[in-house]
Amino acid sequence: MSTSQPILEVRNLCCGFHAEDGYVRVVDDVSFTVARGGTLGLVGESGCGKTVSALAVMGLLPQPAGVIESGTIALAGEPLPAAEGRALARIRGRRIGMVFQEPMTALNPVHRIGNQLIEALRLYEPGKSTGELRRRAIELLEQVGIPAPEQRLREYPHQLSGGMRQRVMIAIAIAGRPEVLIADEPTTALDVTVQAQILDLLRQLQRDHGMGMLFITHDLGVVAELCDEVAVMYAGRIVERAPVHTLFKHPRHPYTRGLIASVPRLDTPAKARLETIEGVVPALDALPAGCRFSNRCPFADDTCRALAPPLEPSPLQHDVACHHWRRLAA
Amino acid sequence: MSAPLLEVRDLKKYYPVRAGIFLRKIGDVHAVDGVSFTLDRGETLGLVGESGCGKTTVGRTILNLVPKTSGTVLFEGRDLATVGRREWRALRRDMQIIFQDPMESLNPRHTIGTILEEPFVIHGLGTAAERRRWAAELLERVGLPASAVNRFPHEFSGGQRQRIGIARAIALKPKLIVCDEAVSALDVSVRAQIVNLLLDLQREMQLALLFIAHDLSVVRHVSDRVAVMYLGKIVELASSADIYAEPRHPYTRALISAIPIPDPEQRRSRIVLEGDVPSPINPPAGCPFHTRCPFATAVCAERMPAWDAAGPGHAVACHHWRELPPAVAKEERDARLAGSG
Repeated sequence: MSTSQPILEVRNLCCGFHAEDGYVRVVDDVSFTVARGGTLGLVGESGCGKTVSALAVMGLLPQPAGVIESGTIALAGEPLPAAEGRALARIRGRRIGMVFQEPMTALNPVHRIGNQLIEALRLYEPGKSTGELRRRAIELLEQVGIPAPEQRLREYPHQLSGGMRQRVMIAIAIAGRPEVLIADEPTTALDVTVQAQILDLLRQLQRDHGMGMLFITHDLGVVAELCDEVAVMYAGRIVERAPVHTLFKHPRHPYTRGLIASVPRLDTPAKARLETIEGVVPALDALPAGCRFSNRCPFADDTCRALAPPLEPSPLQHDVACHHWRRLAA
Repeated sequence: MSAPLLEVRDLKKYYPVRAGIFLRKIGDVHAVDGVSFTLDRGETLGLVGESGCGKTTVGRTILNLVPKTSGTVLFEGRDLATVGRREWRALRRDMQIIFQDPMESLNPRHTIGTILEEPFVIHGLGTAAERRRWAAELLERVGLPASAVNRFPHEFSGGQRQRIGIARAIALKPKLIVCDEAVSALDVSVRAQIVNLLLDLQREMQLALLFIAHDLSVVRHVSDRVAVMYLGKIVELASSADIYAEPRHPYTRALISAIPIPDPEQRRSRIVLEGDVPSPINPPAGCPFHTRCPFATAVCAERMPAWDAAGPGHAVACHHWRELPPAVAKEERDARLAGSG
């Protein structure tokens, strides 16, 4: 994007979980940046580590199982201290907002919308009276497009539709006027027409507030519509990183190519066979040696099975972790 | 022309809503409210719509997994309401279902072998040795090793479990499979594998599929015809090429325009609908979509629009479909039609 300092910078992040049979590293040497006012899409299939990366940034890895082994996370150039305790998570919550996939589980079902919103606001503006916070809450609900906000404040989460609940979550996430918004599959549980509404809302909020956004999704369509840059994750690593137009036009990594080709489009012939990636994503405790995609890759050779390719920086900010991308591009 | 494999006429399913200490009935959820369609042998009919539109209930009512309130379901010309218990048993072999989450439909305590042999046992087919062989053959047919018979459902990934669900559904060589969000929970790369498997099996076995899903790009890919549901009613039904190239109903247009396209170069106008789907308890009078429709007029709030033919095999239920501006620019329409050839 630009040469100016990114708003969020994650370097060499390694994190994982202590499980019954030992430690499993879930995110392995992941680096990415979110430009000021820009949107980075973090794409991959279930279990690739995209959500865990986001939770690590937020300091929200489940404790005590979750561990950040190494890596730095910097917000507007200042490194964030390693996550410990709720207090720190709150600081992060203010400068980095987060929206989750399922708003019903993120909202407390026994509290009214108003109380939950005002509670969040009180953290950010401790000096203010409840009346002032209430007015601010109404203003926020208006901003996220909720009709009749005064009435909604008195309602419980179950009284709202899925789309409305997600709007409330977004209102809470932007309450602290964050510099970065992390959205983890915020539209996956929603119907497609409601998804369109929420994506429009996020775009508009981003324009109004100049927030950077880290958008986590498995849906390439959403990435194409919303993001400026994309990082593709596979089995805990970033395998490709590029501006969105470049990625869709010239995908380099065989995994990215397979992913893009396996989505039926409105212009692919009906009932034709879809391109597929053979096999399944390997379990994190049974990764193949060398390149993690080597056991599913149609182009893999002995080098791939022996040696893990590094994420190679290349011109035009198009980075790829594949031994053979040059040959494949030709 | 021979009779269709499946014919559904004016199917309705209402669930009573009760309240108060005497649980008096205060209304009905109109889950399915007068749905009619036909399905031919070897054909795929896609049934799309958003949560709560009644598409899942349609599938289950057809299979009699939930009893219908009214309407007629004909399978090979026979009215299923008049079929006796013994005949039902035989009919069950011809009609199967695949669910969204195979983990919930596979007994976690049974081995894959037991699960796959069960349909044969229930219908008294084959000897024990034959059933074991058939189970192994089914596994290989859906792309799993025959050795899987001794393993349990939790040992498999989501995609593999869906393969097991498919193996069970095709065990008795059915004529119709209801696929209820069968690929919705799967990752992109796995979803493509399962879609291919279903298409292969359909070709081999002349299977008719009722493909229920909310993912329109997948539905278009697998379906010959597509029915769009809104609030318990079908609002438009057409060939999958026509419905994407020339959607007539304002709801279909909004639905299609909301699909995110995996191509950043392609920008197009999106119709963003206001508000939410109304409650199916005492739904609005007139056209079910009029509360959100940008083109609604007074007549829409009063009368349910009748079916109108917008082209060969293209039915639409909208008072105003003739007056609407074109939904899709010409170049884009041509591209879509070319693609669906």
